[in-house]
Order: sequence, then structure tokens, then C-alpha cells
Amino acid sequence: MDSIDDTGGLLCDYAAELISSGATCIRLEKNVRRMALRWGVDVEIDVMPRHVHLAVKESDGPCRTFMTREIRGAISYSKVTRLSRLSWQVADDGLTPADARARFEAISRQPGANRWWILFAASIANAAFCRLFGGDATAMAAVFVATAAGIYLRQLLLPAGCDVRLAFVACAFVSSVLASGCKLFSLGMTPDTAIATSVLYLVPGIPFLNAFSDLTDGHYVSFFTRLTDALVLTCCLSAGLCIGMRLMGVGMF
Amino acid sequence: MIFDILSDAFFAAVAAMGFSALSSPVRSSYLYCALIAAAGHSLRFVLMNTSADMSVVPASVLAALVVGVLAVLLSPHARTPAETFLFPSLLPMIPGIYAYRAFGGLVMCLLHGSESGVFMHYFYLLATNGLTCICVILGMVVGSTAPIFILRRISFSATR
Repeated sequence: MDSIDDTGGLLCDYAAELISSGATCIRLEKNVRRMALRWGVDVEIDVMPRHVHLAVKESDGPCRTFMTREIRGAISYSKVTRLSRLSWQVADDGLTPADARARFEAISRQPGANRWWILFAASIANAAFCRLFGGDATAMAAVFVATAAGIYLRQLLLPAGCDVRLAFVACAFVSSVLASGCKLFSLGMTPDTAIATSVLYLVPGIPFLNAFSDLTDGHYVSFFTRLTDALVLTCCLSAGLCIGMRLMGVGMF
Repeated sequence: MIFDILSDAFFAAVAAMGFSALSSPVRSSYLYCALIAAAGHSLRFVLMNTSADMSVVPASVLAALVVGVLAVLLSPHARTPAETFLFPSLLPMIPGIYAYRAFGGLVMCLLHGSESGVFMHYFYLLATNGLTCICVILGMVVGSTAPIFILRRISFSATR
């Protein structure tokens, strides 16, 4: 028989891992309640800016509270998918908390995507983005190089413990400086599009969209947290872009 | 025109696939991202550049709604949450150029605060581009997330 400590601890860790991986609050609630229902406990969840707070109550027992710190890192939809499947395995196949804990730990340890694949894919994507905004082939090539350099720098800085906001300023700076080459050397017909697009890979689009999804579902604290994080990062990338353009002497806007 | 539409769809698909790599999705979802982004972005292109002649805001809302419905309907086939396709597919429609111009207007307003004529010009750029950008983003968010809430049963049992 699993104790309420095991059950509550697992549910709280599960909730923190899910929210850290980029799940919306409505999905978090659905998944956690699905597992709690199967294990015969009631749960209430608070998603706070830096931790998840979970209250667990058995039908005739006392209420216990659990807290797990959120480690806000890279978004991983692969983890969100596997964690969601785990909740259904608990509900449909009757996994015990001990079995679910073992599977949860395996999912948590799952490594991220290959860094070179990310670098290549995002660079190609940003070059395609440049084309959608009317950039020519030269601008696309410049954006590809600028994005690759920026992402490579981010992959160096973040694992080394650099503050994420500083990393965003630095990456936007490097990307905008490289893209400014189009304008400085009169390469191609659309140098302004190259400069404008060069930093768009840094726009925190998914946190913005998650924030508004939380707003729609009434999770206002999580909405403000995610929106504020996203706005701060947007300001940082704008600052990096400004510094880069100023330094290179390309006419600002 | 057909070539322009196909070209728009192709580059939107490439952008969505590439940007989805940043969120480490399951491998099978790349193809879905590409298909949904191509459908959504090319629909917006058609609405804005043919006789429909829609402005960017309503065209983006309609395209985002289609993206949202497709993402929810396809998610059970891939056994992944709809957001896995939905959010990367929307990224090519984020109005980055409007945001860039609005930001440029803001910076130039700050730099030319004492020259009223120049200030008004850049303030106009800030207001028009900023409002368009905000309206497009809000419309896209509402249009794309509404299907998740409306088709709740499908959305939250896709990974079953």
C-alpha cells in the first residue's frame, strides 16, 4: 500500500516537471486530477512563479501539502507528450504510485534533442521566415549564418551558467551584427529584412502563447508569470538588437 | 498566383518544422507541424492577396482558427497534445516585422523627443505598427486556442 506521502510527492513532482517542460495549466490540472482520481485522493494545485504547491486529501484522512521547485528550462514537448501518456497509463492500466514513479523518473532523465540538429533546423527556419517577410536569397543566407551563430552562442552560454537574460542580449547582439553585414557591404536588395529577421528566433513565442492559454482558463498567476518572463526576454533581445545596430552604424530603423 | 501560394506554404512549412525543433517535440510531429503551418499560412496569404482582400488582423484570426482546429483533430492520430503542433505552426504567422517597426518607432521617438515633427512621424509608426502587432497576436491566440477549449474531449484525450 502506497502512503499518501508517496502519492502526493509524486503528483507534485509530476506537476512541476510538466509545467517546467512547457505544458499549459489546463493540461496540468487535467493530468494530475486524472491520476489522483485513480488513486482515490482529492488534489488542489497552485502554480506559483517558482514552485508548484499541491494539497492532497484522502476521503477520511488529513490534508497534506507538498511543494516542488520548478526548474524553468528548455521547453520539451516530447516530455509533455510522455508525461501525458503516463497519466493515461495510470488511469486506464491502474499503475501504482511506485510504478508510476519509476516511469516518471525515466521520463525526467530523458535528454534533450541533439544540439546540432536544433542549430541547423532553427537556422533553416529563420531563413525561411526571412523569405516569408520578403527577403531575397542573400538576406536568407545572411539570416541563416546570423541565426546559427546566435544559437551556437546560446548553447555555449546557458550550460555554462550564464544568466538567460544576458545570454539573450548577447545572442541578439551577435546575430544583428552579422546580419548588418548585408547593409554595410550592400549585399542583396533587402538588407533591412535580413536585420529585422535575424533575431526573431529568440522571440519567446511559446511562452507568450502558453500565457494567453492560461489567461483563457483563468490561471491569472501563471499568466502573469509567463507573460512577464516572455516580455523580459523580448526586451533583452531588443536591447541586443539596438546595441548591435548602433555599433555597426547601420541606420536605426 | 498559384506559384506564390505554393511558395508561401512551402516556406511556412520549413519555418514551422525548424522552429518546432526548439521545443523538442516527438519525431513524428514534425510532419504534422509542416502540414498545419502550410495550410494556415497559405490561407492567410490567399485571404490577404486575392479578391477577398482582407486586412492582416481578420485574415490572421481565420488562419489561426483553421490551424487550431487542424491541430486538435490531428493530435489523436499522433498521440501527442495539440499544443505540440499548434504553437510551432503559429510561429510563422507571428507579426515579427510589425513588432520590429513598432520597436524602431519607439526608439526613434525617444531619440527625437525634442523635434516635434520627427517625433510625430515616429509616434505614428509606433502606434500603427504596435496596434497591428498586438491585434494580430491577440486574434491569433484566441483563434488558435478556442478549438482546444471547444473540442475539450478530443484535446485532452489525444495521448490516451
